[in-house]
Amino acid sequence: MATAYNPRDFLILTNNPLVPTCMEGRGLYTIRFQPERSFREILVEARDMVYAGHILYTHPLAGSVKPNETPYKSLVVSMEPHGFDAQHGEMIANAIAVFDKFKPLQRSLGPSVLEDFQLIDYTLLAGAIGFDAQAGLSK
Amino acid sequence: MKLELGYIQIKDIQFSKECKVDNGTLYVDPDAVKAYLYEDDDVKAWVKDFGFDIAKPGESVRITPVKDVIEPRVKVEGPGGVFPGVISKVETVGSGKTHVLRGMAVVTAGKIVGFQEGIIDMSGPGAEYTPFSKLNNLVVVAEPNEGYQDHKHEYEHAVRIAGLRAATYIGELGRSVTPDETAEFETYGIKEGLEKLPNLPRVAYVHMLQSQGLLHDTYVYGVDAKRSLTTILCPTETMDGAIISGNCVSACDKNTTYHHQNNPVVANLFAAHGKTLNYVCNIITNENVYLADKQRSSDWTAKLCRLLDLDGALVSQEGFGNPDTDLIMNCKKIELQGVKTVIITDEYAGQDGKSQSLADADPLADAVVTGGNANEVIILPKMDKVIGTLDYVDVIAGGHAGSLRPDGTIEAELQVITGATNEMGFNRLSAR
Repeated sequence: MATAYNPRDFLILTNNPLVPTCMEGRGLYTIRFQPERSFREILVEARDMVYAGHILYTHPLAGSVKPNETPYKSLVVSMEPHGFDAQHGEMIANAIAVFDKFKPLQRSLGPSVLEDFQLIDYTLLAGAIGFDAQAGLSK
Repeated sequence: MKLELGYIQIKDIQFSKECKVDNGTLYVDPDAVKAYLYEDDDVKAWVKDFGFDIAKPGESVRITPVKDVIEPRVKVEGPGGVFPGVISKVETVGSGKTHVLRGMAVVTAGKIVGFQEGIIDMSGPGAEYTPFSKLNNLVVVAEPNEGYQDHKHEYEHAVRIAGLRAATYIGELGRSVTPDETAEFETYGIKEGLEKLPNLPRVAYVHMLQSQGLLHDTYVYGVDAKRSLTTILCPTETMDGAIISGNCVSACDKNTTYHHQNNPVVANLFAAHGKTLNYVCNIITNENVYLADKQRSSDWTAKLCRLLDLDGALVSQEGFGNPDTDLIMNCKKIELQGVKTVIITDEYAGQDGKSQSLADADPLADAVVTGGNANEVIILPKMDKVIGTLDYVDVIAGGHAGSLRPDGTIEAELQVITGATNEMGFNRLSAR
C-alpha cells in the first residue's frame, strides 16, 4: 500500500495528451489518461474520489488560465483512500462551482493554441510534483 | 535599512541617434538598445528580432500582447545593482540611493504562447482601466527564432531577460541626472522599532507571489519563488528590484515587475510608518500548486507573524483560483495567531457580478479589499495603431469567438486589460 505523500501514491487524472507523452514510465506515479473526458468531467471524477476517501495532492484550479479557456485539466489524487478530508471535499466542490460560473465560450481553437494549452497544463502539473518539465519535453 | 529614491520625471520619449536623458526627455537609439539586448546569449539564441515603438498617453494606440512592464532604475550609491541575481550579482539591495525614471516604462510584448494576453490602450475607455496608459512607454516587441515552439521555457526566459536588460540600459541613462525630487524610506530592526515606536501597532505586509509554473512565476534575487520557503524582506528591497515577474497569464491581476517596484501596499504602509503604525517588514510567500506546499507556506507565514509580535497584517494576492486557497489559508492562520488581517484580492463574480467572487472563503476573512470584478464586460474602440498583434484577442482569457469585431472594436471581459483588477490595489476599481 502506498503511503500518503509518497510519489507511488500519485494518481494523475488527465485529459491532456502531452502528459502521457512526456511522463509515461518516467516516475513512480500512475497516469490515468482519458482524452474523451472534458475539463469538468476530470474535476467530477476527482470529486467522487475525494468523497470516497482519496486525497487531493494538487489544487484543482492550478494555473491562471481560466477553466472556460482551456479544454485541458490534469490533477493529482491519491491512489489509495486515506480517509475523507473535508477541506479537500470543499476545495474540489468549489472548483466545480467556479467552472460552472464561467460562461461557455463558443470558439474553435487551432492546433497551435491547443498545443500551448497542453503545454501550460503539463508544466503546472510537472512543477507541482517535482517532475522536470523540460526533460520530459525532450523525450 | 534606509533607501533614498531620486525621481527623474520623464515627460517624453523620442527616438534619436544618441541615448540620453535631457530636461525630462528620454532620447533613445533603438539600435544601441538592441545591441545591448543581444549581448545576452539566451536572447541571441531565441529572439530573432526586436521591434521598438513609443506609446504616449492619449494616443490612439493599443499595445498587445503585453508580457511585462518595467520601470527603469539605476543604483547610484550603496551595495548591489538593479535586478540582483538576474542582471546584477546577488547582493542585498534596498539601501543607499537609486535613481528612478518616473513617468515611463519599458513594456515587453509579442507572442509566446498562442493565447498570449494583455492589452494596454493609451486612450479611450480601456485606458481608464490600466495604470500604464498614463506612462510614456518604450515598447519592445520580441519576435521568436525558428524552432521556438519546442522551447517555450527558454524563449520566455529570453524575453523576460530582454525586458530587464532594456530597462537596465535605459535606467543607466539616469545615473548622472539630478533628480527632480527625492524621498527616503526606512524600516527598523525588531528591537530598534519597538524602542522608537513603542505605542504604535506593529504591521507587516504578507506579499504572495505567483509561483505555479511556466508563465506563472516570480523570481526573488533570481530564485524561482516556488522553490523558496516563506521568508522576510525589507520593504526597500522590493523597491530596489529584488522581485521580478515571470508571470504573463491573467493580464488583469498579474503583478508586473513595475507593480513590484511600485507596490502600493508598501508605499501606503511607508506613508503611515511612524505616524499611525510601525511598518515592521514584508513577508514573502508563494502560491504553489502542490497542496502540501500551500500548507507549509501558510503555516510559516502565520508562524512568522507570531514571532514578529505583529498586531496586524495586510495580505495581497496574485492571480485567480488556486491562489484564492493560499490567500484564505494565510488569512485564517494569521488570524488564529491573534493578528488582525486584511486581504486584498479581485473578483470573478460572473458577468452579472452575482456569483461567488472567490474560489475559497472563510468567516475569519472578514476584512477584504477588492480590486474589481474581472468578468465585467467592456467594449474597447478601434485604435489607429496596434503595437504587437491582435491575433490572439479571440482566444485570450476574457475574450471569446468574435471578440474582435469586423469594425476593429473589441468586446471582452476586463480580464484582457493589463493591471485592470490588480490585487495589490494598484488600480482604481473597488467597492465600498
